[in-house]
Amino acid sequence: MPEVLVDIRDARRVYELDGREVVALEQATCRVRPGERIALLGPSGGGKSTLLHLMGGLDTPSAGSVTFPALGQASELRPGKVAFVFQAQSLLAPLTALENTALPLILGGMPEREAQLRAMGALERLGLASVAAQLPEELSGGQAQRVAVARALAGSPKLILADEPTGQLDSDSAKHLMDTLLKALEDRDTALVIATHDRSVADRLDTVWRMRRGVLKTIEGALA
Amino acid sequence: MSLVWFSGLLSRRPLRIWGAALGVALTVAFLACLGAFITSSTATMTARAVQNVPVDWQILLSPSADINTVAQATQMAGTRALEPVGYADVAGFSASTGTTVQTTGAGKVLGISNTYRTAFPKEIRPLIGSTAGVLLAQQTAANLHAAVGDTITINRLGLPPVQVQVAGIVDLPEADSLFQAVGAPKGLAPQAPPDNVLLLPQAQWHQLFDPQRVVRPDSVRQQLHVRLSAKLANNPRVAFSQVHQLANNLEVKLAGSAVVGDNLAARLDGVRADALYAQTLFLFLGVPGAILAALLTLSVAAASGTERRREIALLRVRGASTRRVLRLASLEAAAVSIAGVILGLGLAWLAQYLALPVGSSLGSVWTLLAVGLGILLALSAVLLPTLAALRTQTVSVARQRVGRSGVPLWQRLWVDVALLAVSAALFWRSAASGYQLVLAPEGVAKSSVQYEAFIAPLALWVGTSLLAVRLLEWALRRRAFTPALRPLAGNLAPTVAATLERQRGLLSRGAVLAALAVAFAVSTSIFNATYQGQSRVDALLTNGADVAVSGTTASPASSQLEALRAIPGVAAVEPLQHRFAYVGNDLQDIFGIDPAHLTQATKLVNAYFIGVTAQQALLLLRSRPDGLFVSQETVNDYQLKLGDPVRLRLVDARDHQYHVVSFAFVGIVREFPTAPKDSFLLANADYIAQQTHQSTAEVALIRVSGDRQQVAAKARALAQNLPGARVTELSQVQQRIASSLTAVNVAGLSRLELGFAVLLLAGATGLVLLLGLTERRRNFTVLSALGANSSQLGAFIWSESLVVVGAGSLAGLLIGLGVAQFLVKLLDGVFDPAPEKLALPWIYLGTLLVAAFMATLIAVGMARAASTKRVTEVLRSA
Amino acid sequence: MKALEAVDLYRFYHIADEETRALRGVSLSLEPGELVAVMGASGSGKSTLLACLAGLDEPDGGYVNVAGQRLTRRPEDERDELRAKFVGTMLQSDNLFEHLSVLENVQFAAILAGRDQSQAADWLKRVGLGERLHSRPSQLSGGELARAGLATALVGRPAVLLADEPTAEVDASTEILVLGELEAFCAQGGAALISTHSPELARRAGRVLRIQDGRLADA
Repeated sequence: MPEVLVDIRDARRVYELDGREVVALEQATCRVRPGERIALLGPSGGGKSTLLHLMGGLDTPSAGSVTFPALGQASELRPGKVAFVFQAQSLLAPLTALENTALPLILGGMPEREAQLRAMGALERLGLASVAAQLPEELSGGQAQRVAVARALAGSPKLILADEPTGQLDSDSAKHLMDTLLKALEDRDTALVIATHDRSVADRLDTVWRMRRGVLKTIEGALA
Repeated sequence: MSLVWFSGLLSRRPLRIWGAALGVALTVAFLACLGAFITSSTATMTARAVQNVPVDWQILLSPSADINTVAQATQMAGTRALEPVGYADVAGFSASTGTTVQTTGAGKVLGISNTYRTAFPKEIRPLIGSTAGVLLAQQTAANLHAAVGDTITINRLGLPPVQVQVAGIVDLPEADSLFQAVGAPKGLAPQAPPDNVLLLPQAQWHQLFDPQRVVRPDSVRQQLHVRLSAKLANNPRVAFSQVHQLANNLEVKLAGSAVVGDNLAARLDGVRADALYAQTLFLFLGVPGAILAALLTLSVAAASGTERRREIALLRVRGASTRRVLRLASLEAAAVSIAGVILGLGLAWLAQYLALPVGSSLGSVWTLLAVGLGILLALSAVLLPTLAALRTQTVSVARQRVGRSGVPLWQRLWVDVALLAVSAALFWRSAASGYQLVLAPEGVAKSSVQYEAFIAPLALWVGTSLLAVRLLEWALRRRAFTPALRPLAGNLAPTVAATLERQRGLLSRGAVLAALAVAFAVSTSIFNATYQGQSRVDALLTNGADVAVSGTTASPASSQLEALRAIPGVAAVEPLQHRFAYVGNDLQDIFGIDPAHLTQATKLVNAYFIGVTAQQALLLLRSRPDGLFVSQETVNDYQLKLGDPVRLRLVDARDHQYHVVSFAFVGIVREFPTAPKDSFLLANADYIAQQTHQSTAEVALIRVSGDRQQVAAKARALAQNLPGARVTELSQVQQRIASSLTAVNVAGLSRLELGFAVLLLAGATGLVLLLGLTERRRNFTVLSALGANSSQLGAFIWSESLVVVGAGSLAGLLIGLGVAQFLVKLLDGVFDPAPEKLALPWIYLGTLLVAAFMATLIAVGMARAASTKRVTEVLRSA
Repeated sequence: MKALEAVDLYRFYHIADEETRALRGVSLSLEPGELVAVMGASGSGKSTLLACLAGLDEPDGGYVNVAGQRLTRRPEDERDELRAKFVGTMLQSDNLFEHLSVLENVQFAAILAGRDQSQAADWLKRVGLGERLHSRPSQLSGGELARAGLATALVGRPAVLLADEPTAEVDASTEILVLGELEAFCAQGGAALISTHSPELARRAGRVLRIQDGRLADA
């Protein structure tokens, strides 16, 4: 049995909002293993982002446990082992596409020149070499999201967590993005979890987990 | 409806409303305080000036006039005191001491009533003996070697001499105005007061000089001395016209039988120029602060531009007309105005107690002006961005301006460099011809300010600021800061530099605000320090030292030197000879000094001498025992060349007669502590003592390290042993020369401005960090999601702050120094001699640095807390 | 009388000496009760078309009538008034004022349209936000924002509803609710023109217009 990247047991997350308690996540239990392609499908506000943030160590559960057996401590996940792709506007506005892509590598301590070479490689693989010197505001929505994917891939992470990456794209651009992402991960061991409300996105992944009103229903995939 | 909109803004857009209101409040408070300070200082100047006039009016009667008619007419103008004074010219006085007889040159005999001294206490100061009866002026007594009880012979003109017995010796401190030529045409050189004066009771004077009037009518005149009872306006300009008109009315009424010597108007005439000068100077010091506060307010308002554009776009989509949008904005502007003005007046009220001198009042037209400007500022802060948003709204919809911003017009036209060139050109021109800030022709009721004089510093201010923006943007574009960022950001430095480059507009604007705040603080503090230092030099010039004991040759202060040195708090005591010497027929003051030690007790300024520094002058005297410094006037009169022998006549102690003493002319002296403004002489005390056989020094100069007042009190107790001696203290003198601007205490203004500067600096730094907050919060969220640790996040904020505060402070320091230089140059018109160099208040500048650093630290801390707060929440709502 | 009529609309933009033709002769008309979808890639001219139809942008050629009244070539004030009275607009996002509560937003929209604001709460209950009346927009999820936006667009009971990708960022349940409300609006005689990428929405529209390079191609 391959080692487990993320192990979530009975995790519950409650927020205080406006004086009332909002349960974002109820008693979720799930595991993510290397090479898995998981869709987290459900309506917005259903707790998908919360689960994703727990998986990436951005957030901690109110009850239950989240561990990273094959990755180490929660504080050691980023940059390097876990990479995020967000819905939109996750590029830093003052930095060019290349600088944005190199950023996680530099944050991880890589010398600038080497980081830029690696980042350029990642952009080239995704067919984005021509926009390397452009600022985010000069990119189309689809291009910007593909740069965000390149940024996630550049550091060769063990796990990529994507939160509605196609949310603001038209269907053609969304398909292009999914093609690019899946192709880039084709022969890799990297696990991928995509939170989405779009069934056409979910349909392209091996495993679909459903989420509604904070309740997670996992259907263990082939690797279980 | 508007109410819902408005209450929503008030409670949920606190920074937008209260931030702008706070800016308006600062502006209003500052202007109101500045106004209160100017009003109160002007009033003080007027009050002190009036207080110091010994006799308001000296009315000279024509020989044929009836004194009672004139007196009656004068009383109609409102008088508190009215005293007739007789003036008679005499050929001279003589007195015998033992076997020798001393005779003086021409003199004057005054007839006064026994109430005169109480009515005009400043005119006659009793030294020895009785205060009534026959009183002899001190210098005359010295010339005649006469003491109380001696008999003096008055050599009348055209009549036989008469003898009187001296009842007391007095000093006539205001001799210049007492013996002025009333009615002499303007522009005529003022005549020196007579060297020899005797005062007689009114009856006795009439008895002796009514006959002289018959034989020599030109030699005997009568004056009426008047103290007015009219309440004068606070503004010296108004008071001047008031008094001037009263005098004119009287002269018209008297139809030629009398001329009014209007001392009060003359004094107010001087003050009105000074007051205008003060007003302009304080305004020039203060206005940059107000401008800065206004800029800060506009920047705060501009910070909500994106938000406002979004709101307006949505309002338009929902069918709101331009008028309706403007109505909603006006409501917001009104709220900002009201909150700002109320808060501002509250702040001003508070500042009035904390920083301003007692007696300042906010109840002036200045406060109204401040409120008006505050409202205007609030309106522009809200309505300008609204109008801008409305304009872009109609021009295009949904069209984004993409790309990197272009170079602003002023940079392409090199406006900054042009302004600096203008400033430099004007400065050199003015420096060559001397600044003349205020034109107040004597006797004319109108005075004017040379506003052109302000163009040079203003151009410097604006030009340097713009140049700083250009340079900073250039450096940011070239990413010149990358190496400097290494220690802070490590391998992230190029990334941080790239971020800075793209934010250069915001950063350079912030840096300029910081620079202007620093410049304001620096120029104000340097000006203040120079002003205070110069004010002290000015007072030292008049008083001689912190405390001065002035005795007479008969009872010299040098007899008490040791006792004075023993007073606790005394740092040094130096003797100073003050005697009289004839240069030809002209009697001048001569000062004998110990050039090796004099500076231990007082301060000599280079401007006191011509052609040599103060240090060199003292060395000259030390190397030449018979060396003599004389006034320029004397050099001209006697065609002296350096090294020429000068023969003076001084009193020899052995026979009390004037004997010739030979000196060598070594240089020209303009001014000297305790010396009169006109001609005087300066020589070695040892040489004078040896030649006159009298080693005593009449004056003792005391430098105080402790409490001046206490030392002065102790010195006064000691001076009881010296008949006729007088002890004066520095602050007393500063009070006395108070009609001049030099005596206005600018400490209140400085406190106000410096406190304000620190607030502005903190505001400028905080503003920049706040302006980028929304953007930064998003960036930080992304950065932490990417795995940036807290020191990496900190690198971004710190480098922004360092660029703003660091570059801003550097530019501010330069601008501040430049502007201070200009301001001090403007002071040439106030101080005589002009300040030699800028005084740098290191302690204050250090405090400012610490305050700037603290402000940055707080702002960075707050920005970090705000930026990193609720990362997951920001993410969830994204 | 047609609810909305556009004849031969042209719109050009000049950006850095380069002329972009956003609309090149677009004509369309909607009868009362019609639900029409507009589909097209981003940059095809959809947004410009909607802006011209709402009277927010002035076309360089052609004209627009709303509820029988000329919207184009009129003083701005009159255009504003017509828009307030007859046109409801729902944007992809940013439909709400951040400083007002959800309820206040809907009330404010009613007032601007010259309608009774007392129905605001009812509208919010209808779109499932009955418990979020006093929340601020920043406290709502994406789906809730879209529902509130719908309420603000409909509370003024406009003759024409223009919606720009109303379901692009919402979950499935919200999409169903929004579609239901749009249909109900049209059933009561309103005309709706919706720009969308959603095949579901296109399927339920009575008519689909395709826009490409600033021209309509009938589907």
